[in-house]
Amino acid sequence: MARILGVDIPGEKRIDIALRYIYGLGPSNSKVILARAQIDPSIRAKNLSEQQLSQIVHAIQEGKYVIEGDLRREIGMNLKRLQTIKCYRGVRHLRGLPVRGQRTQTNARTRKGPRKTVGVVRNPNAKTGIH
Amino acid sequence: MGRSIKKGPFLDQHLQEKILKAKETKSKAPIKTWSRRSMITPDFVGLTFNVHNGKLFNPVFVTENMVGHRLGEFSLTRTFKKHGAHTAKAEAK
Repeated sequence: MARILGVDIPGEKRIDIALRYIYGLGPSNSKVILARAQIDPSIRAKNLSEQQLSQIVHAIQEGKYVIEGDLRREIGMNLKRLQTIKCYRGVRHLRGLPVRGQRTQTNARTRKGPRKTVGVVRNPNAKTGIH
Repeated sequence: MGRSIKKGPFLDQHLQEKILKAKETKSKAPIKTWSRRSMITPDFVGLTFNVHNGKLFNPVFVTENMVGHRLGEFSLTRTFKKHGAHTAKAEAK
């Protein structure tokens, strides 16, 4: 276990993979960071020295990456803006439906979640016919 | 692909004329428009538009963070239907 930038604890993996456990850093960012810190990407995260860790932290901070809480907040703010101005995209987010024009008659299960069957519910105000 | 910056934001000519007129006379009366495709520019802010959705004109009051969107985005064209009980709460939506 190693700690980078406070809360992130990447495990017993190669450092180029372990860096991807930081929210906001993916494969390409992790490669760039390690190149800048001049660290071999194949070292296991636990085998890094204090100095190497600080080099990585330095490289991340210098690169001006938006990561972790800041990134989550930024995404949340973007959603909130769309929702408060009541534009089409915001409404789709509010209803939990796909935002980018996908079909919803079928599929769209990622956004809609598990299927929910709604049975027939009689309209209480409807006129009752002869059965 | 996005629109070229060189061209500037798209705005229907007839809508632009209406806005200039409203600005000149300082009238706050809603501007009726069918031009859903026009982009909201900073001089729209504070005006109210009645934007056609194919059937009705929905009132849209333009605020600052709507700039850059299009008028049509605020006037939905479809009715949202849901299965379930016909309660007063569900009907109101």
